[in-house]
Amino acid sequence: NIDPESLLPKLPNPDDLKPFPTTCAAIFRGQQGRVRSVSIDPHGVFLASGGDDGFVRIWELLTGREVWQARLSDEDAVDTVKWRPDTECSILAAAAGETIYLVVPFTILSPDMEQHSRDVLDAGWGYAASKPSSTTNGAIKEPPGKWSRPGSSLEHKGVLVQVTVRSMVKVINWHRKGDYFATVSPRGQSTAVAIHTLSKHLTQLPFRRLKGIAQTAQFHPSKAIFFVATRNTIRSYDLAKQELVKILQPGAKWISSIDVHPGGDNIIVGTYDKRLLWHDLDLSTKPYKTLRFHQEAIRAVRFHQGGLPLFADASDDGSLQIFHGKVVGDLMENATIVPLKVLRGHKVKSRLGAMDVEWHPREPWCVSAGADGTCRLWN
Amino acid sequence: MELAAEQKVPIRLSTRDPSIQIAEETGVLLVQTSLNRLKLSALVNDLLHKDERRIPFDILINGKFLRATIDEFLTQNGISPETTLDVEYTRALVPPLNVRSFEHDDWVSAVDVLSQSSAAGVWSGAVQSGQERILSASYDGLLRVWDMSENVLATSQPPNNGGRITSLKTAKWIWDKKIVAAGLDSTVRVFKYDDDTRTITQALELYNHRWGVEDIAVHGPSNRILSASSDTTISLFSANAKDNPAAPSNLLPNSTAASNKRLKTSRSERTVPARGALTTLTGHSSPVSSVIFKPDDATVAYSTSHDHTLRTWDLPTSTCVDTRTTGHSLLSLAAMPKLNLLATGTSARHITLIDPRASATQIAVMTLRGHKNAVVSLDVDPSTEYNLLSGSHDGTAQIWDVRNVRPSTVVGEGQAGESVYTIFRQGAPHSHGHGEGLKVFSVRWDSEVGILSAGEDKRVQINRAIGA
Ligand SMILES: [Mg+2]
Repeated sequence: NIDPESLLPKLPNPDDLKPFPTTCAAIFRGQQGRVRSVSIDPHGVFLASGGDDGFVRIWELLTGREVWQARLSDEDAVDTVKWRPDTECSILAAAAGETIYLVVPFTILSPDMEQHSRDVLDAGWGYAASKPSSTTNGAIKEPPGKWSRPGSSLEHKGVLVQVTVRSMVKVINWHRKGDYFATVSPRGQSTAVAIHTLSKHLTQLPFRRLKGIAQTAQFHPSKAIFFVATRNTIRSYDLAKQELVKILQPGAKWISSIDVHPGGDNIIVGTYDKRLLWHDLDLSTKPYKTLRFHQEAIRAVRFHQGGLPLFADASDDGSLQIFHGKVVGDLMENATIVPLKVLRGHKVKSRLGAMDVEWHPREPWCVSAGADGTCRLWN
Repeated sequence: MELAAEQKVPIRLSTRDPSIQIAEETGVLLVQTSLNRLKLSALVNDLLHKDERRIPFDILINGKFLRATIDEFLTQNGISPETTLDVEYTRALVPPLNVRSFEHDDWVSAVDVLSQSSAAGVWSGAVQSGQERILSASYDGLLRVWDMSENVLATSQPPNNGGRITSLKTAKWIWDKKIVAAGLDSTVRVFKYDDDTRTITQALELYNHRWGVEDIAVHGPSNRILSASSDTTISLFSANAKDNPAAPSNLLPNSTAASNKRLKTSRSERTVPARGALTTLTGHSSPVSSVIFKPDDATVAYSTSHDHTLRTWDLPTSTCVDTRTTGHSLLSLAAMPKLNLLATGTSARHITLIDPRASATQIAVMTLRGHKNAVVSLDVDPSTEYNLLSGSHDGTAQIWDVRNVRPSTVVGEGQAGESVYTIFRQGAPHSHGHGEGLKVFSVRWDSEVGILSAGEDKRVQINRAIGA
């Protein structure tokens, strides 16, 4: 008689998988209303946050000190903030309503860092002006994204460029080289997914016909592949050949968030139906693992991008779940996934809890955004 | 059991502190193995003929702290009661109870002391007892000099830096008339302090960094300043303007159109000389958190970084001569020269003691645990080589005795130790791990003034042992 349990592979002990975040190291307080999005700058020194009060704020990551702020909108929440991935300059993208703002927070930059950053944003002005788009019948067509200056009061704060699209932007994701960024406007139908070229101040709509309502989109970490998630499907496209590569079926009712493993062959999917799904692109179009750890919706999922085998999710139950997720290069060996720690601290407000999670670029630290108006650093 | 209680052991008493030597030769004493620290402390007081004002002593046997009875110590360490024990007594650390508080308008990021015995006081040789001065640096961008009666004697002017943030992160006395400070605007500034006119005047601006400056070290006799920056480099400057080369033009606030415009619309005229660095030390791959000169040799520097390393630098050649890699972001640094150790505070809530000498093979000699958050500031007890002071984002300062240790159960940690005393923020007798509102950013330990700690509660707090 063989005990069937004994045939299951033994999961490693969490204690042997250190380091991973276990405690709250700083609370960032000062926002009014929910914090919707957090992003750590490529140096790992500053945290940016955006939320319902229409402000973007920048904080010292370790101390929780606010060092910069600007109010982008009087009416709309800042739904997403994302630092541009480049350590030679410092540019933050943020979206409120239909507008994406590009920020050089010069008050915390040295003059040459400010100048490099301004140069990157300014390069496209001439290009955009010289290329008006027109339809075949000669009429001037409204471009999918209108690039302009946000006006002196925002420009004095370092908010230097705005891009207005046709419907409310919920997601911004940069390409690793920092010249492209993708935005998603779930209610935008045919204009839901846009790819913007910073150096040309150009906005393009790669998908005229998208089946389903777009939720999020992301560039592959190393190849010219682009992932688009609708409510229940994830499609990957080859940007060079302009063709569909793969359709993933996580079996989810409503996808909230996806993230691509830095190796490029694995994807995690968070869903409003409380499940976290791991897809191995080599295996199948169905999930390799389904993880049910939360009592409420999962709002955000995120892989560590700096070489540590960690991923995390953020849930409306107010907690973050930290996992070990080790991907092996060998095609024959599947990923090892071990739940490590539940991080509690955010209070649930109006049934919303932790709204976003982001990893430090190098350290086993993460930051969360809360509906309780705080951000938290965990290490 | 009766027999065990009556068992006696030969001991030889000694101390390294000349002020508490026992006058008569005691030789080898025979004492009961049931004695504990308190009873041995009482015995020493009796031998010192201290009837009043008895001194609390800590007891070390063979270099280890006695925590329970001699009997238990012998059992734990496998020592036969026939062996003559070397018993050292030392003044016990008295809980620092007298508290004074210097109130600021904003978070206090750094504190330093000018006293007869402080480094800057010794270098200037002109500080009289009773004329101690406290220097504080704040996130409001201002330096303040205080007397011991909690009066602000002088406040600096905010710098004209082209509309940038002015928050300071570090400040030090160079000697009694010179101060250096730096912070988030990447600029190191030297100030003149005049105690008669009560003024802090900017004398020199030093440009070499592209991100904020987290820490500075000074060496008065050679006029040297080291600055540690988030841009991953360390700069070596002279406090004398003319010794430094011209400032790199791309770092000056008037170097770009946008910045120059902001500079001109702000009020004051630039009259302060601007200079560059003598050398730049490159090698760290993440922000540099702390830098110090080697205490007995100012041609050598040590630095710690978020890149997990502690580096040794040879300043005349501007080269990194040694790199020690640890498992965590390193956030603070202090030297314990008599023990040949460097103490570094980590983001992982502990302090690691490292022997920087080339012969050392262990990564960590000792690991001190007890803080609940990042250890961001360290200083040493000026009166003994064994005591360390730490400041943490958990809202406490803690005092450590590096003899108060036992072998660690964790591989690679060396000895493990606990703090002997915890200083909480005044009015906040507890500490949450996250230290919200109470984070300590800077600590100093001065013979005359006591233990200083500064932090998020907008205060410099001074704790001083009663009777000390
Ligand atoms: Mg695989």
